[in-house]
Amino acid sequence: MSHSDNDLRPEEFAQAAAEAIQDAQARDFRDAARVLAAAGLCGVCAQEDAGGLALGIEFALPIATEAGKLRLHWPLLEHLLVAKALGDSPLAAQLASGERVATWALQGSLQDGLAGQARGARDCDWVLVADGRGGGALLDLGSIEIQEDEALDPEHPQSWLGLEGAKVLAALDAATFAALQRDSHILIAGFVNGAAESALATTAGYMSTRVQFGRPLSAKQAVRHLLARMRLLQEASSAGIQRVLATDEYGRVRETRPVLANALANAAFVLEKSIHLHGGMGFTWEVPLHYALREVRKFDAAFGAGALASQVGRDFIQSA
Amino acid sequence: MHMEKNPAIPDAAAGPAVYRQYARQWLGAHLPEHMRADNVNYRTPTLDECRAWEASMYDAGLAGMTWPKAYGGLGLTLREHLVVNKEVGALAMPESVSSIGKELAGPIIQTVGTEEQKQLFLPRILAMQDYWCQGFSEPDAGSDLARLRTRAVQEGDSWRINGQKIWTSGAAKARYCLLLTRTGTVADKHRGLLMFAVPMDTPGIRVVPIKSIDGKVSFAEVFFDNVVVPDSARLGAPDEGWNAAIRVLSIERATNRMYRAWRFDCELRQLVAACKSDPQLSRLLDDGSYQRRIGEVVGEIDALKGLVEQTVNRMMAGDRIGARGSLTKLYWSECHQAFAGLALALVSQVNPRSSALAQRARKHFTTAYFYARAETIYAGTTEVQLDIIAQRIMDLPKDLT
Repeated sequence: MSHSDNDLRPEEFAQAAAEAIQDAQARDFRDAARVLAAAGLCGVCAQEDAGGLALGIEFALPIATEAGKLRLHWPLLEHLLVAKALGDSPLAAQLASGERVATWALQGSLQDGLAGQARGARDCDWVLVADGRGGGALLDLGSIEIQEDEALDPEHPQSWLGLEGAKVLAALDAATFAALQRDSHILIAGFVNGAAESALATTAGYMSTRVQFGRPLSAKQAVRHLLARMRLLQEASSAGIQRVLATDEYGRVRETRPVLANALANAAFVLEKSIHLHGGMGFTWEVPLHYALREVRKFDAAFGAGALASQVGRDFIQSA
Repeated sequence: MHMEKNPAIPDAAAGPAVYRQYARQWLGAHLPEHMRADNVNYRTPTLDECRAWEASMYDAGLAGMTWPKAYGGLGLTLREHLVVNKEVGALAMPESVSSIGKELAGPIIQTVGTEEQKQLFLPRILAMQDYWCQGFSEPDAGSDLARLRTRAVQEGDSWRINGQKIWTSGAAKARYCLLLTRTGTVADKHRGLLMFAVPMDTPGIRVVPIKSIDGKVSFAEVFFDNVVVPDSARLGAPDEGWNAAIRVLSIERATNRMYRAWRFDCELRQLVAACKSDPQLSRLLDDGSYQRRIGEVVGEIDALKGLVEQTVNRMMAGDRIGARGSLTKLYWSECHQAFAGLALALVSQVNPRSSALAQRARKHFTTAYFYARAETIYAGTTEVQLDIIAQRIMDLPKDLT
């Protein structure tokens, strides 16, 4: 199977991905890997020689979106991207098959000796980190000291990785790593936008059935307008994400950071307002909206909590 | 028709890239320096200068892209329309002085007009020979057309019209008014609405200009006192014409002014370039809060471009666009209005010793800030757009079912 196959459409992956993700969520971490791999999700972008499907990032996007909608904590986006980056290496095959699981530390570097924001690090085998010189390094998590930080998410904590003496399994050159970072921006944007889409659907459904003063809350203009604003922002994120998949009018790849920054801000808004509109129930641990908000805030933190937009601004100022 | 007039216009079959390149080169070479809002030699162009510029764009194959060839258009698709809009947006050129004709009257006439009306009106709109104004809103009927009071009564082969319109853009210069009336009473609400193409020199029409907060006198109140027009001025039958027009308008809302996202980009570049040209303003750009805000605007512009391109892709694929034009209109108007506030904050620091570009930017963005107040009002206010999204896109119930 190759990228150029005309009979495959990215949107068709969404349904299959949703079914596999729901199946995986009912299993333990390792079993989940096998289920996700069997559905072709782990190796969707990995080379065929590594057992992958060798499809473009546009095919991974609906998978990421479904993962966001379903609040999957398993590091699927990171895993499938690392499998892609490893090319025809035997390590890629181990990831595509679900035999091993990889994550990605979105902050820090090997040079710094400290990395962070690697989802599921405690359960994974390998972690990708920046090498500090433009490239990336795949490290054996067994050789790394992991310190968990439960402040933002006690059930799925952030982690800090002490990289002194870490065992390097593979190295990625600067070009490969830069391309992978671009892909990660697209998938993370898709993930958080999926989380927002799901939360909005849940909230709109609740507002349509929650009766106060004899009418559903969705009859109230203040509620209708807030829901419409949430939909507007979620649609705007979707449109930006779809657009960045294509090259520009001159065949150049588009900048992904503005789209990711916008998607993170919009998703946070939608999730915060979803919690608000659920009233007291929204404030409870049982209503799972807070899980999605925590996930979005963790990704936001990984990119410096607003620093991404500032960098986009600096780049624009430089270029104007 | 254009192909006969101007052999330089590329064949659309050559693909969008060729048309884009042609549009970029032609616009860059022909837009007068004094009409570029980001040029230090800018001066407000006269109506005649704007008319001549738009007429030259039409002659160059850069207007009327999707209009039928039989009525002076190029008969091309939304794909080419978008390509040209991107290039139009990339330059700081004046807004169209014939937008009512090109974006509203023209498409409606194409749908509900007789063949004679199409031949009479459409080519002259594109060639910038006639301006149109829009007579929909009334003092007591803005978005709520059920309250429309201007009345048309048939008298043999003619119609007698009485009533008052307001917020009528371009009324003073218009040759025709796209006039919405009712044939019955207000009790009929949305029934019996009838449209006309009324010559503005018809006896009984009185135009009272209104000065807007940007200092311009671009719209007016228009009074119709026993105005008699022939039946040939009628656009469609009662109800039929207006209902068709509503369908046209929902498409137009999604496809008009596609250039706005790219013009937004152009304005942001103008603002930053102006700040960089001046030592004092340049220091403001080192401020993290401004950097972040500019970065956010870049993200909003990308999303806006995505919404526009998504609309074109869907329409090219034959999808009904429905109410989705409201998403683009609302997102653009709110983001752009907020940007105008950011721009005002930056150019407020300009003083007489500032650079020429900064002084130009101060004039431009101060006016833009005030004009931006209108952006969340015209073509359906923010609240109307939110209602449309809630009702027609989200299908939120108002009652228990």
